[in-house]
Amino acid sequence: MPTLALDPLDIALLESMSVRARVIVEGAFAGLHGNPHTGASIEFSEHKEYAPGDDIRRIDWKAVGRIDRYYLKRFEDETEMRSFLLLDSSASMGYGRKGVTKLAYASYLAAALAYLLAQQGDPAGLLVFDAETRQYLPPRTRGGHIRDLLVALDGVTPAGRTEPGRALAYVGELADRKSLVVLFSDLLDAPVDLADRLRQLRSRGHDVALFQILDPDEVSLPFDEVTDFEAIEPGDTRRLLVDPRDLAASFERESAALRERWRRICVEARVEYQFATTAQPPADVLRAFLFARQRARR
Amino acid sequence: MHFLAPSLLLGLLAAALPAIIHRIGRRHARPIRFAAMELLLRAEHEVSARRRLRDALLLFARTGLAMALPLAFARPFAEVRSDLPAVTGRSQSAVVILDDSASMRRRRAEGGTPFEAARARARAVIEHLSADSDVALVLASEGSAAPIAELASDRARVVAALEAVPSSARRADFAAALRRATQILAGSTRADRLIYVATDLQAAGWDDVKPVAGPGAPQMVLLDASGGAAWTNRAVVALAAEPAPEEGAQGIAVIAEIVNFSPEQVRNLGVTLALDGAEVARGFVDVPAAGRARKRFVLTTAGGSAHEAEVAIDKDAFPLDDRRACLVEASRGLRVLIVDGDPRTVRTEDETFFLEAALRAGGSGFSVTSTLPDDLAGRDLSAFGAIFVANVNRPAPTVAAALIHYVETGGGLFISVGDRVDTDGWNQAAKAILPQPLGLKRSAAALPGAHTEGETVDLRPAERLAPIDRRHPLLSAFPARGDGLSSARFFQYMLLSPLPDAPGRQIVLRYESGAPALVEADVGRGRVLLLTTTVDREWTDLPIRPGFLPLIQEMARYLAGAPSGEAATAIAVGQKREIVLEPDDRRVEIVPPAGESRWLTPPARSGDAHARRTLTFAETDEPGFYRVRAARGDGTISERPDAAFVVNLDPRESDPTRLPDDKRPDRVTASGAAGAAPRRRLELWHALGAAAIALVLLESLLTLRFRRGRVKA
Repeated sequence: MPTLALDPLDIALLESMSVRARVIVEGAFAGLHGNPHTGASIEFSEHKEYAPGDDIRRIDWKAVGRIDRYYLKRFEDETEMRSFLLLDSSASMGYGRKGVTKLAYASYLAAALAYLLAQQGDPAGLLVFDAETRQYLPPRTRGGHIRDLLVALDGVTPAGRTEPGRALAYVGELADRKSLVVLFSDLLDAPVDLADRLRQLRSRGHDVALFQILDPDEVSLPFDEVTDFEAIEPGDTRRLLVDPRDLAASFERESAALRERWRRICVEARVEYQFATTAQPPADVLRAFLFARQRARR
Repeated sequence: MHFLAPSLLLGLLAAALPAIIHRIGRRHARPIRFAAMELLLRAEHEVSARRRLRDALLLFARTGLAMALPLAFARPFAEVRSDLPAVTGRSQSAVVILDDSASMRRRRAEGGTPFEAARARARAVIEHLSADSDVALVLASEGSAAPIAELASDRARVVAALEAVPSSARRADFAAALRRATQILAGSTRADRLIYVATDLQAAGWDDVKPVAGPGAPQMVLLDASGGAAWTNRAVVALAAEPAPEEGAQGIAVIAEIVNFSPEQVRNLGVTLALDGAEVARGFVDVPAAGRARKRFVLTTAGGSAHEAEVAIDKDAFPLDDRRACLVEASRGLRVLIVDGDPRTVRTEDETFFLEAALRAGGSGFSVTSTLPDDLAGRDLSAFGAIFVANVNRPAPTVAAALIHYVETGGGLFISVGDRVDTDGWNQAAKAILPQPLGLKRSAAALPGAHTEGETVDLRPAERLAPIDRRHPLLSAFPARGDGLSSARFFQYMLLSPLPDAPGRQIVLRYESGAPALVEADVGRGRVLLLTTTVDREWTDLPIRPGFLPLIQEMARYLAGAPSGEAATAIAVGQKREIVLEPDDRRVEIVPPAGESRWLTPPARSGDAHARRTLTFAETDEPGFYRVRAARGDGTISERPDAAFVVNLDPRESDPTRLPDDKRPDRVTASGAAGAAPRRRLELWHALGAAAIALVLLESLLTLRFRRGRVKA
């Protein structure tokens, strides 16, 4: 599929998170041209800006009220979807040897989703966590909320150990009605109870999506000289002095097994699973996510 | 350990390089803070055992290689004390004599046989000789050919020939082997000429060896393969069969003589008799220390054919002499009838006095019956294996017919003449069985010559026998010079009418004048011997000569065609066996106790009637029974039990007596070969070079496998 999506390094060069979010969303939608599907969005099929000749009965007046622009809504199932974007900001998310860090990449994706939700008038909240909750912006629809959210994303730095289960539990308490919960994490050191948390959220009627973000180094070990590996998360003293070439094949198998394990957990819990490396254009990942949701709704 | 270039050992410092490089590599490892430590540690756990093994092997290979190369270049060697004589290190011409005699096949207390030890010692000597030495290889067993009969510098060929030598069952004959070795060395121009004898130092084979000393004589070195410890032995050294009248006409007594060579008495030694391969009797015997004992088995056999008898004692370390074999026949072969043509009242004057005494001599096994010519007609002659007719006037027609029938049906007839013989009567009545017609009586002319000291002096003119031909079976037991027969004097004898040569007839003994003394003829299936003089002292003093008794006994056995006891049918290992063809035989097959049979064919053209009818079989290398089969003129093949024979071990090989030191030829050699045991240089750098190559291969294989693993990854 031809795409105009920028790769992560190019996106990182953009001046602000709001620009990055818009570029990613536009890149994702630009790739839709020529697609046989009618479109993709979080909860409806397609938004189309009003043009003379369109049926004015299909103007989305809520959107007009929120953003002061005219859009046509073709298939609207819900009037408002609350979304929680959970961003893992633990130290391991700070790894990025050649390209952007996993945290930056996850921020781009979260920003793009928040931007897209804001475009369609859905309130989106942000929860930045490591072992604790570091920052929380509740879902709102007011005009400046999206700017605050993007600024918050722009300022996230990696630190601490990760506890995604606790963040999910916290969101479970906050979400009093059906919501969309999107978790961005590498899941490298995620405890096994995370699967239980995901199932609990699903059982409460929430829609849950999980983005597993890994660096390409964590998919296949590219090092070619003796390396002294040390754990990145605080308090983890594990070290390994080894020739990585000896471990490359085995490491690749272990990494694939990890991803397969989380994919299977998500399938069993009916959670949307998306895997991405920080080398992929975020727009492609976003588009794949939107397609997957669209297919799921059909 | 010593080194030719010790300074190069400094290169051993390079052995530390692999470890140092490894440590430097680890020290300069790039540090990386990595998020996926859990995955990394799992991967490490999965491959760690294999990786550590590979790393250890690689470190070993590289360190070993770094050590092996400077070590090899330093040319290390070790000096080992050699058990070979010092002289082996000199440049020389050498003949190695390997003792392959029967005694070398015994089992040593420390394992293996002396033959194996001797061969190993001989190989060590050959391999240790200096590169410019040359060497030949000779065997010590009697009658054996030398595997390498000329001095050769190709050491590998000599060693190969040595390895190919089988152990034999022959007796040792060091005198012959040393003569051969001396002849070989005579062609060498080297100053150092040595004869190495690898042997168990059994005294038996050294009887006729005379020490060779003096300038130019080869030095002799004995390589002791006996293992040092004295060995004890028990052996069956003789086996005989004789009639056993107490068991009837078919009774046979098999008598084994057993020798105990040990200084302790042997009690209840098991002795077993096997007949035609089946064990028929077992007994026990006590044999005194360093003494002998006889064991007599009595049995009854089916008559008419020879039986294979074998006596075995309980096995010891030398099983080859624990058994002995013979062929026995209980039928007419042992029964002899004497027809006395000139009986006297005084027994000593009787015509057959000496003849009967010779046949009855102890151990001969003959059952002798005497009769007069007039009583012959009523007798059943077929019951006798041989009939001796002595000085009979003329046979009555019925008697002549009976004798002719007897001979033609396979009997053996001996005829001797005398004053009473009517030549015309014999020539007419018994023409069919006389080898040659009888002629005139002849008295010897007076011959000059001195009498042998101690000889019975008879002043009558006499003749003696011409030199004997030992190829004839009757005479094969006599010494080459005919001792025992050559001293006999013949005062009178009967000439024979000449006849053209005929197959089956030959002159066995002649007088000095050329006249026949003993003539043999095959008649029908039987055989006739005609002696042209008397068997008493009337015409000759032969009956009182030492050769008379064995001649008469051999004639009786020969006529009977029935081997009796070991003496008649058995030969020692390595001895030749003559086989006389029957008139209808075209060729004969010898079936040895083991291995393939061998066909013998008489020479196509030979003027010698004896040679045409006699075949010689020399491959008597293993003890046991040798069967003979004949291919007849009509194409059939049939057994020749009369020609079958037995090969036994030479009893001298059973005697474990060790060659005394004062008779060892190496101790009396002028220059002496003994000396301080040399130190032999054992070069180690070849092995180190090979190790280095192996390590390079190992390192390459490991690295290749390592890289392949990475490519797959």
